[in-house]
Amino acid sequence: MSKNIIEVDHLKIRFNMATEKVDNLKEYAIKLAKHQLMFQEFIALRDITFQVKKGEAWGLVGPNGCGKSTLLKAVSGILQPYEGTVKVKGKISPLIELGAGFDKNLTARENIYLNGLVLGHSRKFMEEHFDEIVEFADIENFLDAPLKNFSSGMKARLGFAVATVVNPDILIVDEVLEVGDMRFRRKCNERMQQMLDGGTTLLYVSHNIESVKSLCDKAIWIEHGKMRMIGGAQEVCDAYRDDQNETIRVRKEERRAKLRAQGAKYDYLVVGAGLTGAVFAREMAKAGKRCLVIDKRSHIGGNLYTEDVDGIQVHRYGAHIFHTNDEKIWKYVNRFADFNHYIHSPLAVCQDEIYNLPFNMNTFSRLWNLKKPQEAREKIAAQVEPSLEKNASYPDGTVEEQALSLVGAEVYEKLIRGYMEKQWGRDCKELPAALLGELPLRFTYDNRFFEDDFQGIPTGGYTALVEKLLENTDVMTDTDFFVYRRDHPEMFDRVLYTGRIDEYFDFRYGHLEYRSARFETERVAEADYQGSAVVNYMDPKVPYTRVIEYKHFAPETEAENPKEYSIISREYPENWQPGVELSPPAGRRQDVPSIGRNASRLDGTAEGVFSEENASCPGCTAEVCDPLRDEKNMALYERYRKLADREENVIFGGRLGIYQHLDMDQAIAAAMELAQEEKLRFQKKRGKDVLD
Amino acid sequence: MKLLNYRIKTFFKYKDLIIELVSRDLKLKYRRSFLGYAWTILQPLLLMMVWVIVFSNLLGRNIENYPVFLLSGRMMYDFFSQSTTGAMKSVTGNSALIRKVNVPKYIFTLARVTSCMVDMVLSFGALFIVMLVTGAKFYWTLVMIPLVVIQIYIFCCGLGFFLAQFNVFFRDTEHIYGAILRALLYLTPILYEITRLPENLQLFIKAFNPLYYYVGQFRDIVYYGNVPGPRIFWGGWLIAFLMLAIGVWSFQRSKDRFILYI
Repeated sequence: MSKNIIEVDHLKIRFNMATEKVDNLKEYAIKLAKHQLMFQEFIALRDITFQVKKGEAWGLVGPNGCGKSTLLKAVSGILQPYEGTVKVKGKISPLIELGAGFDKNLTARENIYLNGLVLGHSRKFMEEHFDEIVEFADIENFLDAPLKNFSSGMKARLGFAVATVVNPDILIVDEVLEVGDMRFRRKCNERMQQMLDGGTTLLYVSHNIESVKSLCDKAIWIEHGKMRMIGGAQEVCDAYRDDQNETIRVRKEERRAKLRAQGAKYDYLVVGAGLTGAVFAREMAKAGKRCLVIDKRSHIGGNLYTEDVDGIQVHRYGAHIFHTNDEKIWKYVNRFADFNHYIHSPLAVCQDEIYNLPFNMNTFSRLWNLKKPQEAREKIAAQVEPSLEKNASYPDGTVEEQALSLVGAEVYEKLIRGYMEKQWGRDCKELPAALLGELPLRFTYDNRFFEDDFQGIPTGGYTALVEKLLENTDVMTDTDFFVYRRDHPEMFDRVLYTGRIDEYFDFRYGHLEYRSARFETERVAEADYQGSAVVNYMDPKVPYTRVIEYKHFAPETEAENPKEYSIISREYPENWQPGVELSPPAGRRQDVPSIGRNASRLDGTAEGVFSEENASCPGCTAEVCDPLRDEKNMALYERYRKLADREENVIFGGRLGIYQHLDMDQAIAAAMELAQEEKLRFQKKRGKDVLD
Repeated sequence: MKLLNYRIKTFFKYKDLIIELVSRDLKLKYRRSFLGYAWTILQPLLLMMVWVIVFSNLLGRNIENYPVFLLSGRMMYDFFSQSTTGAMKSVTGNSALIRKVNVPKYIFTLARVTSCMVDMVLSFGALFIVMLVTGAKFYWTLVMIPLVVIQIYIFCCGLGFFLAQFNVFFRDTEHIYGAILRALLYLTPILYEITRLPENLQLFIKAFNPLYYYVGQFRDIVYYGNVPGPRIFWGGWLIAFLMLAIGVWSFQRSKDRFILYI
């Protein structure tokens, strides 16, 4: 089993007519006279050295024209080495091209014989195995039809069936199976697997990296005729794929750089390098449009921005937990980043007691020391009471009325009141009930904050994800839209504006209001500060509403590389002052911190009992803001929206552009929809041009 | 010795392939034609009629039974020209296969010459029909036909190998060889008796035209009923093996480089 069946040693293959073929006498004479003959040589392969043991499966990967097929030909004896040696022991079945030796004018039956004989079988052997071949190729009904009437897939089937009729010692397959249909490919793979199990050695070339990975144990990556990497199929394939992607990226970048140098006009100016802008730019770039993404901030990612601080991904603008029910969106984001399996289940601290959130049996059990859901239901029912004080200015009720009627006095006092008052800076009697939302109670021991089908946090941080989205797009950070528009009005056709809509119109009707929060981040000398990613502080005497400990968002990173320190952020509620520029000018962000699931559901979007998110780096603070969609502000927004509708060539999108909180998945869906509309617009325009 | 052994072994391994390739050539030639293999005989007959009509008064005035005279020479020439032309293209024409499968390349050349030979043997039927119709005499010397066929077959194989490898490197060969074949047609006593030529040209042809030896022998056997003279008989064998040696040597020498040029 450990005998080498193929030994290739410093193989060099030389073609000596790289630039042109000298194949007529006149040229030959001229070249001879000019002493140019034989000087144009092309080294197709050099320094190829490897040994294959019996029963191994080797994959060859590399770009087109790198010498993979040349190597296979050298191993199968078609090409003679120029230098070095190729030693092969055993019978080779080459599938360098399926059905090489097929004559299109002969029938399938005749071709089976011819092809088998070309492969070195005897006529007798072919007669014995004829039925087997026909059965595998599945062409019983076309046996006597000339091969020229066969589809390429049928030819491939026939070729594969003939070539694999014996169990050769060495099977050589050169990306020939790609033409077959799925059933056939599966059949071929099974057959190859069987042969491998039976001790056949396989040399396999395919551009389908996955099939190389699944079939082969070892792999060689060839580039420009040299071995670039040799080793386990998994590593080699991954390295090759990464390199290919990088090459593609660099090429695209070069093309973009060229256009940039020419000062070519952009199809789109995307304002804001957050999720909306990035997804839109990516989708439009895919449709062949050129986008320039600008952002006021010095980094991309908007409020998603995460930063590696001493090996911990710190969410600079608040904790972001990706969650969605839409499988398409989940698959989409997973194309750009690997997500972990983080499941959000925050805690609440109230006077030295720790409770689970959202309100569920764990919470109730801790509050009242009971076990059964029925007991909890009864307990709450007994406490629920209409509020004694009515606030006349809130016809729909206040937070206090709402909370008392839903969860009763005890839960309200301990877990809602202090937090809400701290959050909004007002008494609960003076807060509209809508801020609390429906406040669903869970009578199970389920601590999951989100009930969505898909949930997780990108292992490399969100910045990497946005970077990936923007990899084929020109990006300029530290660029203010209004300045850029003034200085380069000729550089773009259309604009996607994801900044604040009121600012776009120079606050002409006044300022829209936002709820904002401030983060103070610090590094603590404790390996684990609080044992959970998010802990909410309900006590009004504690000035912050919550503490975020980032390492808990990435338990897998921490397990791999345990750290003696931790990074935390404290979140302080802040009333946003109209006219005051937020320190990092807002792009977009997820989730409004507010009480109660579906709270602030004035518009039907927000979420988040004691919502998650918001952060920053040690020693610095960051602030974020979220639309405060109460009646007053909504009316104001409506006026701005009318203005926006009249704005030609400017699309408003993203959380601040449409003054509406968006979860990450919603932001992606909305951006994709915008891109789709734009594509349709172009199609329509083109259609019109054609008609004109 | 080991090498020779190996060569013989591979030859036997691929003998079925040669047979299959020969039968493919023959099958494909007349596939889908109504008369099929009958054309092997009909075609030379029809062609001969044209030639007889054109040339019998021009060149064959003094030749008794001109059709048999003409056909006996013409058959040798046709085999020669078809087999060597086919052989010349046998490597380049099968480039798709040679690039993909490691088969001995001479197989294709050999198969091509062989299939032409089989074709010729079958078309002897036409000759016998003409002989019957024209009341020609059937001499005992006819039994020597195989000897001539083997000679010219060996010669054509040798030349075929040489042309096949040469054509790989210089595609001009096809065009040049076409002209040479045309010249040979007229420089070989096929349409006329060699005695009709001037003395020195006769000597030239006898010295340098290998086809003369085979046409001469064949005609002796079929038309004149003579045993071929020792000069053309032994000369024919000698030339055949000499050509084979040249062909095999040149083919062996360059076969590994074919792949780089096709």
